[in-house]
Amino acid sequence: MSCGLSSLSSSDELDDFNPRTSPSTPPKPLEEELASLALTLPHPQLLSDQDDVNGVSDGFEADRSMFGIQQSDEEMRVGLVFEEHVGGNSVSVVEGATEGSDGAGVVWGRTNSEIEVDRPASPSSSGYAGERGSSSASSGRSEMDGVAEDEIQELRDDASDGENSNSVPSWVPGKRHGDEDDASISWRKRKKHFFILSHSGKPIYSRYGDEHKLAGFSASLQAIISFVEDGGDRVKWVRAGKHQVVFLVKGPIYLVCISCTEEPYESLRGQLELIYGQMILILTKSVNRCFERNPKFDMTSLLGGTDVVFSSLIHSFGWNPATFLHAYTCLPLAYGTRQAAGAILQDVADSGILFAILMCKHKVISIVGAQKASLHPDDMLLLANFVMSTESFRTSESFSPICLPRYNPMAFLYAYVHYFDVNTYLMLLTTNSDSFYHLKECRIRIETVLLKSNVLSEVQRSMLDGGMHVGDVPVDSLPRYRTTSHLGQQRAPSEFPERFKESNAGMGGPGGLWHFIYRSIYLDQYVSSEFSSPITSRQQQKRLYRAYQNIYASMHDKEIGPHKTQFRRDENYVLLCWVTQDFELYAAFDPLADKALAIKICNRVCQWIKDVENEVFLLGASPFSW
Amino acid sequence: MGCSSSVPDRASGRSGGLNPENSAADSKNLRVKLVLLGDSGVGKSCIVLRFVRGQFDPTSKVTVGASFLSQTIALQDSTTVKFEIWDTAGQERYAALAPLYYRGAAVAVIVYDITSSDSFAKAQYWVKELQKHGSPDIILALVGNKADLQEKRKVSVQDGTEYAEKNGMFFIETSAKTADNINELFEEIAKRLPRPTSS
Repeated sequence: MSCGLSSLSSSDELDDFNPRTSPSTPPKPLEEELASLALTLPHPQLLSDQDDVNGVSDGFEADRSMFGIQQSDEEMRVGLVFEEHVGGNSVSVVEGATEGSDGAGVVWGRTNSEIEVDRPASPSSSGYAGERGSSSASSGRSEMDGVAEDEIQELRDDASDGENSNSVPSWVPGKRHGDEDDASISWRKRKKHFFILSHSGKPIYSRYGDEHKLAGFSASLQAIISFVEDGGDRVKWVRAGKHQVVFLVKGPIYLVCISCTEEPYESLRGQLELIYGQMILILTKSVNRCFERNPKFDMTSLLGGTDVVFSSLIHSFGWNPATFLHAYTCLPLAYGTRQAAGAILQDVADSGILFAILMCKHKVISIVGAQKASLHPDDMLLLANFVMSTESFRTSESFSPICLPRYNPMAFLYAYVHYFDVNTYLMLLTTNSDSFYHLKECRIRIETVLLKSNVLSEVQRSMLDGGMHVGDVPVDSLPRYRTTSHLGQQRAPSEFPERFKESNAGMGGPGGLWHFIYRSIYLDQYVSSEFSSPITSRQQQKRLYRAYQNIYASMHDKEIGPHKTQFRRDENYVLLCWVTQDFELYAAFDPLADKALAIKICNRVCQWIKDVENEVFLLGASPFSW
Repeated sequence: MGCSSSVPDRASGRSGGLNPENSAADSKNLRVKLVLLGDSGVGKSCIVLRFVRGQFDPTSKVTVGASFLSQTIALQDSTTVKFEIWDTAGQERYAALAPLYYRGAAVAVIVYDITSSDSFAKAQYWVKELQKHGSPDIILALVGNKADLQEKRKVSVQDGTEYAEKNGMFFIETSAKTADNINELFEEIAKRLPRPTSS
């Protein structure tokens, strides 16, 4: 027991400690300017996008055009204001980008370093700034040891192309390729590496390969970080050819991502934040004390057996929108059903439970929190990932210490976990380490009520029926009355399996709509449509997911944004985003979709979601503070 | 132990923490809290699942925190014993939290893997810990698991026996895989339980 993780929870402390804000974000860094400079030569396809956008916008006033959508229905007040940033000269040339850095083709991002480049004349009209990377640099040879010294080719590790059409792809738990190290060709070809290491350079976790064999590599990463830190500076990212190396320093813990997936810096950094959060969930931040006592402390043993938790989280970066939206999603249920579940959870929560959470896979059925306590969507994501990826929770009821990093990173809470069926599970969180038998009784009461009120069978039915299908977007102009069927569908899917199948096999929804994600800002919740044809393969879903991720980052770009709307056409999709005070909508259409029609369809989607909001969202009685 | 400081209300007469209320209901129907301790990977969960469900799953599933299971057995003298079993995680990070689970336990089963000397050393650590911090009248059982892997044996039967005798423990070798001695382990524990005198 070289490191005693003490549990520090005391209810007083927890009640007062209720952080909602993320850890201090530094003032707007120059790095973002640098990031946009990385766009030396936009992807050819991107250029054509801009042509397209500019072409379309020619007919409109300078940079603002309005697509008024006249609805005969007075109720339809949803209007989409379309705003375009016409930046014809978006191709900016980086001068001397490689001078002064360690090697050709390596672009350093720093917080407060001297600027070695000129500001771009104007930001790119594409929100993709910084994300495409410098293609001019890709031919350059990097001097970063072990990163891009060899010719690195992208490895297609998603062999399941075109086979799996489920929205949540099959995934093999646990660490893969544990026999590799940094000398292995296969290891070097991995598209996306994640590392956790200590400030003394000791490896703690690596996505691929054996941590112990990666000691040398880990020490190199540490050397880069401390070299920059010694100069009173901080390294945020490095570009080396096709690879982006992103750093995150959390006290004595260093996190690094090396990726050639062309994801934006903000996304990769967000992913590192989540990995750190997952580690805190398992150990609490008091693990830092081990490093105070012994800087060379070896932390790997403390994380023993948690490979599967991290690999499952990393996997979710490729399919779960919650990882970048910072919102959670609900299992679609009739309002009354969700109310019934919420009522019994509220009942037990009044008896000294901090949070009572009923979930089905990664979707929430209901949550109830004690007064003043609020649960951050990221904490929910990490908690659900921890529970779902750990097999032992399925075996029997469990009582385990866990920490909610956004709630109180220093203290353990105690989680009672019980599975009602293969997918549906209950988590009761408390600050009292002695309350197992009380929680067990609560669970029995909850289970009885859920069975009596058919909540569990409704949950199963909802799992089978799925969520919103783009094929069901109402297109007629008839007034829609509150329908009794599932999510306003004109049919009961379970009764007409043939029809159901048919609509799934069709080519998306009206106007070439393929998929959408709608995030309600006040509720901290999102709803996304089920994947339908032609986005059926795992590969296609992941590509669309990445496109959403990119466009999300560009919409929220602090330098050139935030934007209200964005319309982007490329060879794969038309992506349409619309951000208002109340919601954000991300919709993917056929690349040949008509723009005016796409906008119209987006309005329909928003109206549809309003119509079914009490089925797809958890409304009221929520522990989220706003 | 940082853990004990986190539960200030423990001493103030709350109902027994993780202990079942009204334990040892009457002389014919005993209820007993049992905790399994030992290094990770020695087979604690496998022993419990073999005993409670008669199952053996060769794929290793790491336990997180602790799992709770119960099983009732009937003895020949027509008494029944209900075991309320805390199957704890063997990982180092949970060591500081172990008192949460072994506090108030009537029985502690300390498990090692006969093919691993390290796990035997870890078992001795747990014995010392329980002698210091466990209930004074706790029944300690030392279990050498994976007895089916004779060819890989690193800890001799004699070492186990001697250590158990020195520490007043009951010793048995088991195999959760073949079910060898699993029921015997729990029956033997049941026989050693103190019977309530009043009925």
